[in-house]
Parts: sequence; structure tokens; C-alpha cells
Amino acid sequence: MTVTTGPRVRSGAGAGPLERRYRRLLRSYPRAYRDAYGRELLATLLEVAEPERTLPSARESFSLVTSGLRTRMIHMTGRPAWADGIHLGVLVLSIAHLATLVPYATSIPLWVGLSALAVVLIMRGRVRLALPVVTLVAVKVCAITLGRPWLDLTLLPAMPDPPWSGKALYGGGGPVAPMVGYALVVLGLLVLAPRQRGLGRRSWLWLFAVPPLAGADPAGFDFSDGPWPHTAIRVSLEIGVLLLAVWAGHTARDPRWAVAAGVRLVPILTVYAENFGLHSERDEAHLAALVLLTLLAAAVPYRAKQHIVL
Amino acid sequence: MSEPTYFILACLLDGPLHGHGIIKQTLELSENRVKLPVGTLYGALDRLAASGLITVDREEIVDGRPRRYFRLTDEGKGLVTAEALRMQQASSVVTGRILRPGSAFS
Repeated sequence: MTVTTGPRVRSGAGAGPLERRYRRLLRSYPRAYRDAYGRELLATLLEVAEPERTLPSARESFSLVTSGLRTRMIHMTGRPAWADGIHLGVLVLSIAHLATLVPYATSIPLWVGLSALAVVLIMRGRVRLALPVVTLVAVKVCAITLGRPWLDLTLLPAMPDPPWSGKALYGGGGPVAPMVGYALVVLGLLVLAPRQRGLGRRSWLWLFAVPPLAGADPAGFDFSDGPWPHTAIRVSLEIGVLLLAVWAGHTARDPRWAVAAGVRLVPILTVYAENFGLHSERDEAHLAALVLLTLLAAAVPYRAKQHIVL
Repeated sequence: MSEPTYFILACLLDGPLHGHGIIKQTLELSENRVKLPVGTLYGALDRLAASGLITVDREEIVDGRPRRYFRLTDEGKGLVTAEALRMQQASSVVTGRILRPGSAFS
């Protein structure tokens, strides 16, 4: 049914900029939702706005952004939860692996490049192509941790490039944790390979996680040895992402973010088990926070399913 | 059930309404207490529709922009009625005491 009420009543002279600002805020909604209902939301926003308003109110802006993110979370649940969770977990792990290698780029440029390629392939859902690339990098990392000249000759110890400083690549801790991390990525890709068509593409924004994660000690002695501001930024990012996983699990009543957090936690637990008793109290508190938030992310979807608040 | 959800369902008791209509009606019914931001309103409408408590009655195009009219389902009507009766019973627990003749509050 089409109703024409004459020219649409504009909200004063400022409707142009206000409409543009509302359009920008509506980008927090997924594209499919915007295509279906974006114009309706925009019309309602302009109808309820005061005549002279040119800036969206803080309350309306906050409401649009949180509702948009909530809608995004719910739209993500269209794919099978466990496969999507493994895909996300494998991506986060491969980003952490890349970030570990980045400070050593001049010593091992080929392997940093291949690691970055693996991240991009996983991000775009090309898991079958990523599998041989990750396997190659995994073999090389095993070679470095064991001090063997496999695949190519690398001068060991590989020291970090400026502005990074500190230990040689995999100079602290044992070889088991890095191997477990890479084995988990390879295993995850093997599980996902037959289901490649059903996998979604991940946002390029994930690449922004590489700089804060670069320079993190793969042996987990960050608070014992690492530079404080960089460690604080990395830990804040980790905690922030896990809190987002808890919120997403609660909002969408879906366990996929908990699956991803669990995949990420396995190599971290291995690091602490391999170097048992050697970490500082702050390192252990950091681990406790990660475990607690991962458990919370796993619990909230079930609780949200049982206690639906309308 | 949250207060905004209660008022959204309550204002649909009189018939189908579109988004702007629901915001105005909710404000009026709640005596200006519940002012729904647009993002919150449409989030609530999506959740209520997914739960089968409301449904889209019809769509119109006004000035080139689509507008959905929402209406209560039987399930939604039953739920908001049950909630109203529950609140009435809960309020009577207090009002029955303070308005009783001889009460310290009367």
C-alpha cells in the first residue's frame, strides 16, 4: 500500500546534517538489516527529532549503536555455532601467531609473510588454501623451537628488530606450547575444510589486533619481563574482547563466542602448564582472568536461554 | 517483563501502530516516564516479533519510505493481560493495607 502525504516534513533547517549523522550511526547494523529496515528507522528517527536538532542526542546515539551491535550478533547466528566458533578461534590463534613473529620480520621475512597470508586466507574463509600455508609455518616454528635447520637455514637466535627489544624468538619457555598452538590451528582447519562453503568472511578489522599483540612473550612472562605500557594495552584488549564475547553470548543466547574463546585458551593453558611455577603473581592473575571470562562466556548463553527477559 | 516492553504491548491493544506511533503512545500511556529511543524500540519490536508476541500487520510507503504497522498476536495479548493482572495483584498487597479504614496510612 502506498500513501502520499505531500512533501515529507523536514525537522527544521538542520535535517540534512542530522540525516547524514543518523545514516552514519545506522552503519552499526548489519548490511542486510539496513537494506530491509534502514529507511524505516531513519524516517522514524527524523520524525521524533526536535525541529532544530542537527546532532543526534547521546541517548539516541548510544541506543542505535548498541541495538546495531546486538542485531549484528543475532545475525551472525545464522551459521552453525560450533563451526563458526572454531573458525573464529582459529583466526584469533593465527593472528596471535603472526603477532609473535612480526618483531622478527628481518630475520624470518618469508615466514612472517606466510603467516600473514594464512591470516588473510582464514579471514576470508579460504581454509583449504590456508591449511598448507599454516602447516609450513608450523613446521618452521617447530624447527626454531627445537633449534633444527628444517625448510630453510635460519640464523638462531633470531633477535627482535627495533623498536622491539627483549628475548630471542621462542627464547623463553619450552617447545610444547607453540607446537600445541599451531597443531590446534591445523586441526581446526582440517575440521573446517569439508565445510568451507558454509564459512563466513571475517572483518578486516581483526588485523588491528596484530600491533598490540606483537611483542607479547609466547611463554607468557609478560608481567615478569615485558614492557609495561605495551603489556597493559595487550591485556586490556584481551579482556575487552572476552567481555564482548560474554555480552554477545548473552545477547544472542549462542555459544559460538565461547567456543572461540576456548580454542584461544588451550595454548595459553599449555604455556602455563609447561612453565609451571615460573610465572609471577601478576601473570597468574592474568591467566585467572582469562579462564574466568572464558567460563563466563560459556555459561551465559545457557542462562540467557533459561531466563528470557522481554 | 521490562517496563518498556509492557508499554509497547499495552499500546498495541487498541490496534496496529507504526514505530513513531508506538513511541508517542508509550510516552502518553506512561505519563511521560517511558521515552523510547528509536534503536531500543526497533530492537524490542524485533525480539517481540521473534517471540511471536507481535507481528507485522501491513506495510505502507509514506513519502517514499516504508513503514511497518505492528499488531498484537493472541499470545502477546494473553501475556500483557497476565502481566497486568499480576501487577494489579501485587499492588493490591500494598494498597489494600494503606487504604484500609483504621490503617496508620489512611
